[in-house]
Order: sequence, then structure tokens, then C-alpha cells
Amino acid sequence: MRKRGFSMEQKKARWGWIFVTPALILFSIFSFYPIFTAFYTSFYNKNLLSLRPPRYIGWANYQYLFTSQEFRESVINTAVFTAGTFVPLVVFSLILAAFIMSINKFQRFFQMAFYAPAVLSSVVAALIWLLIFDPRGIANQGLNTMLGTSGVNYHWLSKAGMLRLSTIIVYFWKYIGYFTIVFVSGIGSIPYTLHEAALIDGTNRWQNFWYITFPLLKPTTLLVSVMALIQCLKTFSTQYLFSSSGAPTRPINVITLNIYNTAIKDYRIGRASAMSILLFLVMFLFTWLQLKVSKTEEVTYM
Amino acid sequence: MSTFKAKYLTLDKAVQALIWLFLIASCVLVLIPLAFMFTASTMPAIDILKLPYPWISDHFHWQNFWNAIRGPEGTFEFLRNTVNSLVVAISVSFFTVMLSSITGYGLAKFEFKGRNLVFMLIMATMMIPFETIMIPLYMVVTGMGMQDSYVGLIVPFVANAFGIFLMRQFLIPFPNEVLDAARIDGASEPRIFTQVVLPNAGPAIATLAIISFRAQWDNLLWPLLIVQSENMKTIPLYITKFMAETHSDEGIMMAVAVLASLPMFILFFTLSKYFVNTEGLHSSTKG
Repeated sequence: MRKRGFSMEQKKARWGWIFVTPALILFSIFSFYPIFTAFYTSFYNKNLLSLRPPRYIGWANYQYLFTSQEFRESVINTAVFTAGTFVPLVVFSLILAAFIMSINKFQRFFQMAFYAPAVLSSVVAALIWLLIFDPRGIANQGLNTMLGTSGVNYHWLSKAGMLRLSTIIVYFWKYIGYFTIVFVSGIGSIPYTLHEAALIDGTNRWQNFWYITFPLLKPTTLLVSVMALIQCLKTFSTQYLFSSSGAPTRPINVITLNIYNTAIKDYRIGRASAMSILLFLVMFLFTWLQLKVSKTEEVTYM
Repeated sequence: MSTFKAKYLTLDKAVQALIWLFLIASCVLVLIPLAFMFTASTMPAIDILKLPYPWISDHFHWQNFWNAIRGPEGTFEFLRNTVNSLVVAISVSFFTVMLSSITGYGLAKFEFKGRNLVFMLIMATMMIPFETIMIPLYMVVTGMGMQDSYVGLIVPFVANAFGIFLMRQFLIPFPNEVLDAARIDGASEPRIFTQVVLPNAGPAIATLAIISFRAQWDNLLWPLLIVQSENMKTIPLYITKFMAETHSDEGIMMAVAVLASLPMFILFFTLSKYFVNTEGLHSSTKG
């Protein structure tokens, strides 16, 4: 029997293409095309509802953003939220992970307990905290008990500073468990023989953590930091829900919320695209950093 | 050797006590909001706003759950929206698993010209966060007439670079001899994929299915953009609307929160092994 002129390799190559093509088509439509459109649209004056063709305006959208008070505020809001969330997240998840690994019982229980808030969706989390931060809610009660005051309202959802703190608390609460588990598995992957060698050399427990565990955790720490940072830059739900349920929008008007409102409420697609591109560039920088960091800092322990 | 281990594990009694104290205290702090949600969901609103908050109420107000399901106008909108969320989350997770495994399999086990380029292109999409393309994506999807429909809620999320990466990494060590044996037996390539590869990819599939299900169950931004009609709303949209209504009963609010979290808690307690996936993360750091 004569076979067609395809070798096994050619046949396999053809099947390889067949298997990857559907994904490539979907990515082209739903990832590559939109990001190019965003670049393109950011140079146009485009209105969502208007039927007139969009007008080319060069850098005007970007120029507007750099002089706009509102945009500057939302950059500051995002920066404050990101710095205020990711630093405590990294520090506390490292501490919690180190503590969990130092006890010899209930390790799994603590990991699961800290992770529990991550099980909820962000909308549900915001809903719960909205009641907790209510003037009559348990946040005020708890703080009053702790500070020994009575009946003081700390304005969790109305004063600018407190409102920002509130969004930070919600985020911190939701993600602390996840990053703790990442650190736990990072610490767990350090071979015990390294600790053993150090103990033979006569180090104490603290030196052991500081000179062995901590330096070897550097890649994990960097990875967690960048991941947390990127996650915080993208924050939307908490701010959106707090503001749509009556809290003042200005202090928590983060970039994503600003993009959403500019496009959907003001119909200014060009301006929203310019904001998206700026956000994209910042996040691209951090993602690139993450990839670079995770490649160069890779450690093999043996 | 064991003496070293014992020494390593033995801390000062005082230090150990402090560590336990810190862990228990933080654990309590983290769990308070959850305890609040569960207790408040069974209380009448008057009890929830009592000062101080009565952690255990005298009245078990189960009606909250009935009212949450029934809705203020008795339209059972909550159920309708739950069905929408389930349809979307289950479909996205099914199609993501299928597409990711077929693409991952193609990239892992087939040599073809341009394979590395394809892989890099796919990985590059990880650099494009959804938040930065949501507006043009919204226009693409409305341009295709998919707004306000299941298709529009599902299709944009099916191609998932992380999922493809996960499946590729999982399938690379798969023995080639098994695949070749099936080829010699005359099995077609699609048949090899569905009957040899897929049944052996269980753990990776479970991990990926849960990740995509959760992401969609939690998705607020996209439905917010493309859903207009009441009966296409998903649970996050339902809760958003519910929160904006000023006269919502606090007990019912928490009952909604509990009900909306139920699928997640069920997954968490039955499949916690796949739920918290750090393996995928660590393999992704190894590039």
C-alpha cells in the first residue's frame, strides 16, 4: 500500500499547528487586537455614543491627563493604596509563614484559617466590610475598646484617610492568606540539610532564620512583592463597591475606577484608552521585572 | 540526626509562647469578619446594629435566607442570577480546560516550525492585564453583537495563557512511548488527545478548572461593562445592585453573602488540595 508523501514528522507538525490555532485566533481577537486598538484610540477624540467618526488629536489625550487634577489624584490614590497594601502584605505574610513553620502542630490549620477570606469573592468581602465599617458596626466598637474610648465614630467610610485605610484593610485581609501560603511553600522547599549544617556550626535559631532561611527566600520574597504590587495596581471591586454604596469617590478613585467612569459614564473612549495605556506601561514594567527577577534569582539549593 | 532536628525545633519556651499567641491572635482577627457574616446572617436587623454586637443572638432568624432567595419584590431574581453565574463560571472553566489542554499538548508534544514563537506570543498575553484592555474589548464584543449574552460573558476568557502554560508544563514529562504506541495502533491524533492525554491530566485539569471557575464567580468588571438586562445579571452584579439600595435589611444582606459564597466554600472544603495551587506558581517562576 502506498502512503501519501507525508512523513511522520510532517504529519505531526501539521497536527501541532491544528492544536494551537484555535487559541491563537482567540488571543488575536480578545488580547492583541484590543491592546492595539487601545494604543490607536488613545490618539483620537472618540465618544462612545457619538456616530461621528473619531477625530485624530495626536497627544492631546495624554497632554490632558498630565495636566488633569482628577487624573493626578487617581494616580496618587493608586500609589497610596498600592504602597499601603503591598508592603504590609509582604512583611506580615513572611512573618506569619515563618511562625507557622516554627511551630510543630496545627501548621495546616493556620494556613487554611488565614486563607479562608480568599475563598469569598471580592464583592462579598466588600459587602461584609461595609457593615463592619458602619458607624454602629464592629470596627468602631473594636477600636473604641482597644483605645479605651467610648462611642467615638471613626468615620471609616466617610473621612478621606480612613476610607483609604478601609480599602487597604479589606485587600490586606483578603490576600494575606494566599501570600502566607506562598511563603510557607518557599520555606518548606529549603532543604533541611542546610539548617542542619548551620546548627553543627553552632548557630542559634534566630541566626538560622536570618542567615539561611531569609537569604534563600529572596527569590520568593521578590516574586511575592511584584505579584502583590501588580495585584494592587489592578484593584477595582472594593473601591467601586464602596463608592457606589455611598462613600465619597474622590479619595478612592483609583486608576481602574477612573478608566471605567471615563469610558462608561462620560463616554470619553479616547481619554480612557490613554489612561489604559499609561496603566499598561506601568504594569508592563513590573511584569517584566517579575519575569527578569524570577529568571535571574532562581536558586537551586543543592 | 534526630537530635539535631529536635534541637532545631526547640525554641525558648517564652519565644514559643509568644509565637503561638501571635498566631492565635492574628487568626482570630482574620476570622472575625467571617464569623460576623455567618452570625449576622441568622439575626434580625435590629440585633445586628445593637451596641455592642451580640455575637450570639436569642432569635435564630432563618427567614433572612428565604427573603434573600425570594428578593424584596418576590421575583426570585437571586436564583436567576445564581444560575447565570453558574452557567458562565462552569462554561468558562470547561472551555478553558479544553482549549488549554489541547494547546498545551500541541506545544509540549509536537515539533513544528514557529513553535517557540507561538509559545512566546501566548506568554506575552500575560503581560496584558484585563483592566488595561477592557474598554477596547468592550467595543470588540459589542461590535460582534455579543453584549448582554452568555457568549459575551464566556468567550473572551476562554483563551488563558496561564492555563496553557500550566498544561504544557504538566504534559512535557508525559511519556512519548505511550503516544507512539497509540499511533502505531492506528489511533488518530484527536483520539489520542481525548482518550490518552486528557484522562492522564487530572490534577492539572482540576487546578485549572477551579482557578477559572473562581475567577468568573468573582468577576465584577466585565459583567458590569456588558450586561444590561436584569435577567443576564450575575451574582456580583446582583450584590452590587443590592448594596446600592439604601433600605436593604442587614440580616438579608449577610444571608445573600453566605449564599453567594456557598459554591466557593463547597469547593474549598472538598477540593482544597487543588484550591490553593502554589505548584503552578513555583513552576512559573522556574520559567
